[in-house]
Amino acid sequence: MRRFWRSLVLFISVFGLLFVVIAPFYWIFSSSVKRNQEIIARIPTFFPKSFTIQHYQNLLASSDFPKYLMNSTIVALLTMIFTVVITVMAAYAIYRLKFPGHKFLQRVILVTYAFPTILLLIPIYMMLSATTPKLIDTPWALVIVNVTFAAPFAVWMLQAFFKSIPLELEEAAALDGAGRIQTMIKVFLPLAAPGIASIAIYAFIFSWTEYMYASVLIISDKYRTLPVGLAGIIGQYQVDWGLLLAGATITTLPVLILFSIVGRSFVQGLTAGAVK
Amino acid sequence: MRTKLSLIFTILMVSSMILAACGEATTPPPAEVEPPAEATQPPAEATQPPAEATQPPAEEPPAEPVSIMVWHMEQPPYRVERFQELIDEFNAANPGIVVKQEPQNWGEIYTKAPAAFSAGNAPELLFAIPDFTPIMREAGAVQPVEDFVNEMDAAHKFVPSAVAPYNYDGHIWAVPMWNMVHSLWYRKSVFEAAEITPPTTWDEWKAAVETLNTEGQYGIGLPANKQLYTDQTTYDFMINAGAEEIYNSDGTLRFDNPQTVAAYDFYNQLYQFSPPDSPNWMWGEAEACFASRTCAMVLQFTVITTYETQAEGDAADLGVVAIPHSADVAQSGTIAYPNAVMLLTEDPAKQDAAYEFMRFLLQPENYGRFLNMEPGLYLPVTDDGGMADSYWNDPVVVKYKSQIETMLENSKNGMLFGFTNGNTFPSIAQISAQNMLAQVLQKVVIDKMPPADAVKEGQEMMEAAIQ
Repeated sequence: MRRFWRSLVLFISVFGLLFVVIAPFYWIFSSSVKRNQEIIARIPTFFPKSFTIQHYQNLLASSDFPKYLMNSTIVALLTMIFTVVITVMAAYAIYRLKFPGHKFLQRVILVTYAFPTILLLIPIYMMLSATTPKLIDTPWALVIVNVTFAAPFAVWMLQAFFKSIPLELEEAAALDGAGRIQTMIKVFLPLAAPGIASIAIYAFIFSWTEYMYASVLIISDKYRTLPVGLAGIIGQYQVDWGLLLAGATITTLPVLILFSIVGRSFVQGLTAGAVK
Repeated sequence: MRTKLSLIFTILMVSSMILAACGEATTPPPAEVEPPAEATQPPAEATQPPAEATQPPAEEPPAEPVSIMVWHMEQPPYRVERFQELIDEFNAANPGIVVKQEPQNWGEIYTKAPAAFSAGNAPELLFAIPDFTPIMREAGAVQPVEDFVNEMDAAHKFVPSAVAPYNYDGHIWAVPMWNMVHSLWYRKSVFEAAEITPPTTWDEWKAAVETLNTEGQYGIGLPANKQLYTDQTTYDFMINAGAEEIYNSDGTLRFDNPQTVAAYDFYNQLYQFSPPDSPNWMWGEAEACFASRTCAMVLQFTVITTYETQAEGDAADLGVVAIPHSADVAQSGTIAYPNAVMLLTEDPAKQDAAYEFMRFLLQPENYGRFLNMEPGLYLPVTDDGGMADSYWNDPVVVKYKSQIETMLENSKNGMLFGFTNGNTFPSIAQISAQNMLAQVLQKVVIDKMPPADAVKEGQEMMEAAIQ
């Protein structure tokens, strides 16, 4: 009997949590296939009474949404690649190598993450405008900024993983004649794969959802990313709710797909080192 | 190891190439859009210049077209498309000028435009509202345009209230393009069913709101967000309480006065009949509330597009009147946003090209099409534009003609805080940038502070902001 109650509480808790997490996604998706009148109806409908794909047709055919989707994908993938390459090397150096100041670097790395990014908006705009050729209004501006802001937290995330890998493995590799880089690539990185996957997905999502810098550093419509482009499509005074919901649904898909592929590693990455 | 490093390097290189390729492939420049065939064929007499003009000196290369970049904040695709139609026609008719557009967002333009100007990336033409112009002027970006405005005034006759907010310090700083004013929107059938007539005074308005506040319907939808829409509706109440002047004529603030307190107090009274989610509202939520029949009345620039596309679209049932006024005020007034375009280039050739483009837009045969990129939202600011067939022949305008005529009538009593009665106080940009009218309203309707205390605090906040 006691076991039954325990299971019931567990079931209700899990179901409640699932509902809280999934309900907004369901609401966005189900509303995106409703007709306009039903979307804004006084009494909302949990299950659609009408069905239309008109919002998706309008979004994909009559707006620049596909272009924004492509831009966001490219910027997010490049951000992910550069963040992984830079942070893996940085984290290895900071947490595995002994050099003067490495303790200080370990502490200071999170301070840079805590710095309010809005304060850097204008200085970064000026810096990117002063380069030759100008990086402002290019996707590279967003890649540089996203990597800069994602890297400190990603390095910190890798810390727990790197610390959990025994030093003896590296020593054994050294005894077998492996150099530092060979050890890192052949011994260290395979063991840290879940951690690397977690920072990859973190960098991707960071870039995918970044709005502030994307809205200011990009001037031309041709390089606009999804969050900024979608904000423009839906309008200010007259909001097209169907278009907004269709856009939101498609925007979440790449993140869902990525999570379904490497989500397990991401969770492992977040919890690594939590239990000794 | 070498293989893996090569793989990483290859991935990076391929990504770079994809990025570069996509950037080019996805961006047909607007100017390259094929113009309509008829527009590419100038009249025969124009194709036969005098013989001496057909033989330019051999050593002179053909002049480069003057390029004009226009930044505007009309981002919805159908507005961008209408803008592009006009740009294409202009470019086809003016081979020496290439106009391009880059739509921007109101949310970021206050940061982005000054930064772009400082970095040398500013456009030649930038659309503005009155409290944005002082910010760009302070950055040293804006060129005076009074000569051009006077020329256009002689040709098309500007509505004086559209020019006034841009006329200060001895110059006119932007060319008016359109006006936007608030009105009170309702459904005639709902009023008839409740046996009430459209209100003209605050007493009638409150009685109507109370009557219409029924099961499943809120008497009115009023926002309380710390955002521009709430600034606007709050100022509607202030105007109609006789508190339209925020400044004394010497530039000191007079926000804290009995009329302002009365305006906030009455707003608070009506707000009790507004939906509970209205503290989060912007314009779109108010329109949705009206379109879904959840709100019996709303204050809005226009609801026509939403009513037409997301509600029943019955023009005969859509009512619009001037915003009711208090017993102490003689007539109704409304907030008005004359939108204008600023000239940001010192280059004489670019200035001439920019003027030519604005001349083109203000021509009555083009002006109506320009305004009707959002039918019913943008009202003409020239006399001949207000009579132009190009404006009144749009199908949506034809359908909602009586509503638009009422909006135009209401616009005659339009005002904007900081730009009233011939005075212009550029420091209002500091007040509006922080949405201080809305902040004071939140103190009253959310924090339940007595209106007199909230207005007193508001005056102190404003004084600190403009110091």
